[in-house]
Amino acid sequence: MTDTLIPEETPAPRQRFSWMYALVAVPLVIAGMVFWWGYNRAQPHQFSGAVIQGSTAAPDFTLWSDDGPVSLSDYEDKIVMLYFGYTHCPDVCPTTLTDAAAAIESLSDDEAEDVQLIFITIDPGRDTAERMGQYVAHFDESFVGVTGTEEEIGSVATLYGIYYRAGEGTEASGYLMEHTATLLVIDRNGNLKLVIPFGVQYDAMAADLRYMLR
Amino acid sequence: MVDITTEAPQASSDLRLSRRGRRLLVVIGVLVALVVGSVFAFVTFQPIQVLPRVRLAPGFSLVDSQGDVLTSEDLRGRFVLYTFSYSACETCESIDETMLEIQQGLDTADLRGFPVSMVTISIDEEETPEQMAEYAASVGADPDVWRFTQVEDARFLADVVAGGFGTYYEVVDDGSIKLDRSFVLVDGSGIIRNEYKYQTQTSDSERILRHLGVLAEEAQNSNGPASLAYEAAHLFLCYAP
Repeated sequence: MTDTLIPEETPAPRQRFSWMYALVAVPLVIAGMVFWWGYNRAQPHQFSGAVIQGSTAAPDFTLWSDDGPVSLSDYEDKIVMLYFGYTHCPDVCPTTLTDAAAAIESLSDDEAEDVQLIFITIDPGRDTAERMGQYVAHFDESFVGVTGTEEEIGSVATLYGIYYRAGEGTEASGYLMEHTATLLVIDRNGNLKLVIPFGVQYDAMAADLRYMLR
Repeated sequence: MVDITTEAPQASSDLRLSRRGRRLLVVIGVLVALVVGSVFAFVTFQPIQVLPRVRLAPGFSLVDSQGDVLTSEDLRGRFVLYTFSYSACETCESIDETMLEIQQGLDTADLRGFPVSMVTISIDEEETPEQMAEYAASVGADPDVWRFTQVEDARFLADVVAGGFGTYYEVVDDGSIKLDRSFVLVDGSGIIRNEYKYQTQTSDSERILRHLGVLAEEAQNSNGPASLAYEAAHLFLCYAP
């Protein structure tokens, strides 16, 4: 008897419940999304190097690879990693290039497509364009190695904060180069944004690149 | 009668949910207000001030008045104040006076143990080390703190001074040199943190000494949780005047 008195469906209260639930849930979801967006935007990423805030354009240059002239401006809309070293470098340069290659390798294909490393020799007397091309290919096929005249290299290096000096010796006997070993990162707007010191691991570099690619 | 007993709990449930939701919204609102208020207070009152990281200082190799080589790598880890001059300059007295005031003020400045160097780079390619030594002595430079130098390879003088440090100079036809009097402050990572065009309205030396203190404070707090507050100060442009 009692069963017959209870309606089989109670659509009205159910609708009211959904309506009230939506009244609370929608603002909550919006507030959550706003908070998450703000949190991600405001939270400073801990870069692995020194961040430059100024928006001065990185100096453009044109140097030579084994495929012809290469300018910084050829890579607009890409993140450019600039590294100054030389192919006879026994330790610092191959270590840095290996780490940079591993960092790019750890990115997704789409992300890696937007990153370009340019290796600039500070030893133009020995590093020909062909030699530079062969050298960088050992690390990553996408890397570009460039050389130029002493004046061109000296000027570009100075403007990018790079000091270098040849040690004792000749081309025949061999010599080492003393040089600044920082890895420079230029953002997609063409501004020098990050100066990574020697010794930063590839995963930290990759995190920086991912952050800059967002 | 039965309808009443079945609907009453549902209505009560709606009421409880609504109250809970409103309470939650109030809590979220308070939290958002607190965050926004904190950011506003941080930006307005600037409890932490920093100097902007303007751009990369140039790389160079200099030779000082003693004939010793001084490179940009040698100066890593130090705060360095650069200025540009030459011994025959007739309008550089004001620059040298400011540099001397800073040299004298370093002893009492709050630098928290961070080393500071001062470097004058000659823009006269023909200047000899002897001339520079005489010039340095005449302005009272302490060679342990303030070094007078010349770019080792004159081919890169313009790249260093004009391109790197952004200081205008020009050698005119009669051999004289036009020079934009300026100072450039560089941190231990080789990044330019401020540029000062010489002016007479306020004391450059007081401002630069104060800025050295700001740099030292940031460098001291560059590790650990405090560094986040300093990064926030950079993010919100809390720059020392």
